[in-house]
Amino acid sequence: MDVVPPALARLIEDLHRLPGIGRKTATRLALHILRRPAAEARDLARDLVDLHGAIHLCRNCFAFSEKDPCVICGDPGRDPALVCVVEEPADLMAIEKTGAFKGQYHLLHGVLSPMDGIGPEEIRIGALLSRVKKGTVAEVLIATSSTVPGEATAAYLISRLQGMQVKVTRLACGIPMGMDIKYADDVTLARAIESRMDTGKP
Amino acid sequence: MESCSTLAIVLEVKEFGESDKIITFYSEDRGKLCGIAKGARRSLKRFVNKLELFSVLELLYTNSRSSSLVMIDQAELISSLPLLRQNYNRYVAAALIAESTLHWTREHDAEPALYELLAWSLNYLTDPRHPPSWGVILFLTRLYTLVGYDLQLDGCVQCGTLLPTLSPYHFYNSRQGFVCSACRRRLQSSVQDPAMPLATGTVKILQKAKILPLVKLNRLKFTQNAESEALILLHGYGKNLLQRDSHSWAFLAGYSKDHKG
Ligand SMILES: [Zn+2]
Ligand SMILES: [Zn+2]
Repeated sequence: MDVVPPALARLIEDLHRLPGIGRKTATRLALHILRRPAAEARDLARDLVDLHGAIHLCRNCFAFSEKDPCVICGDPGRDPALVCVVEEPADLMAIEKTGAFKGQYHLLHGVLSPMDGIGPEEIRIGALLSRVKKGTVAEVLIATSSTVPGEATAAYLISRLQGMQVKVTRLACGIPMGMDIKYADDVTLARAIESRMDTGKP
Repeated sequence: MESCSTLAIVLEVKEFGESDKIITFYSEDRGKLCGIAKGARRSLKRFVNKLELFSVLELLYTNSRSSSLVMIDQAELISSLPLLRQNYNRYVAAALIAESTLHWTREHDAEPALYELLAWSLNYLTDPRHPPSWGVILFLTRLYTLVGYDLQLDGCVQCGTLLPTLSPYHFYNSRQGFVCSACRRRLQSSVQDPAMPLATGTVKILQKAKILPLVKLNRLKFTQNAESEALILLHGYGKNLLQRDSHSWAFLAGYSKDHKG
């Protein structure tokens, strides 16, 4: 397709490499950028160039941050003894949005996925274990997804944290709010029963 | 468009776009298929918790005219094999079985016996008494036969000398079987790859693993030596034939690091 000018073709290729962007969408986005004023494109280019320079991983929790330690780890109001383990930054953002969690995080940046060549050494598990070994963490809350790789990663973490002086908890799994239990699938319902809560009454 | 219903085992799950999933599954009557489940990443009731690795499903799908991807319309969970996610070593073994199935099969190439073997093997791994690596050995030994690359364990592939006389057993990946010492001398220059020596016990148990009916297969018990030789053999054999490696080998419990390469 040499009817597409090379500069435009290169941008389409670049956008097409982004997750969830097909060639059609990439073409649409590239043409959109081309039709808008050149200043907008320059702003976009500058933001892209600045990204890696400005953002680093927090050395404590491995969140993307412009500061080290990150805003959460640097906040004296957050409890450093409670550490929530998540797969990726989007999961951290989802939990932060609830406002219900007052501890710190640990980002694994992935899940154990043997088929993709991702084992314990490929994600930030070693760093979590050394963080716990320092003795300042009282509870690790494992908040990986309830997909098969997420659960297998949780199982691996639980086995590695066993025997360390730390309480290990797992995000509860159960019936979504507002759902009639007769429509819940067997696995979800069984998990909800296993992780039932004490109502505090005798 | 044709709508089909089949039993299927999920081999691979990939996120696609904002809300869809692409699932590769091995179906009972159409072999390996790849399908898209629209909206599966949002908590849509018809898909949530079902389109997961290793799940056994009753799938309703529609063939597409324009693409090889089928459209997954509905999924009913038959079994989810929870132990395969609650134990890392079992998860790795199941992943290796799924990955091998992906590598060794073509789409729309039905092999009901392979569906049966796959279901049997994943189920085998959910029994805490079975070491995960044994499940891998039993699966691969039979997979190679089903895909037309039978491990030749009965005699010398050159002269046909049968087993007891053949000893010591030297397996050559390049010949897909044993070559006796007399033939080795004769072939000197053309047999280039290193021999894989196998103990009598290993050969015997692998022969049984090939022919026993599935219902009797879980009786087989491997010694440590047979387990380790069988894993090296099955790994090297597959890798040599496919000219590619399965990533999951690197994480299999009890498999010596020296052979992972
Ligand atoms: Zn931090
Ligand atoms: Zn011979």
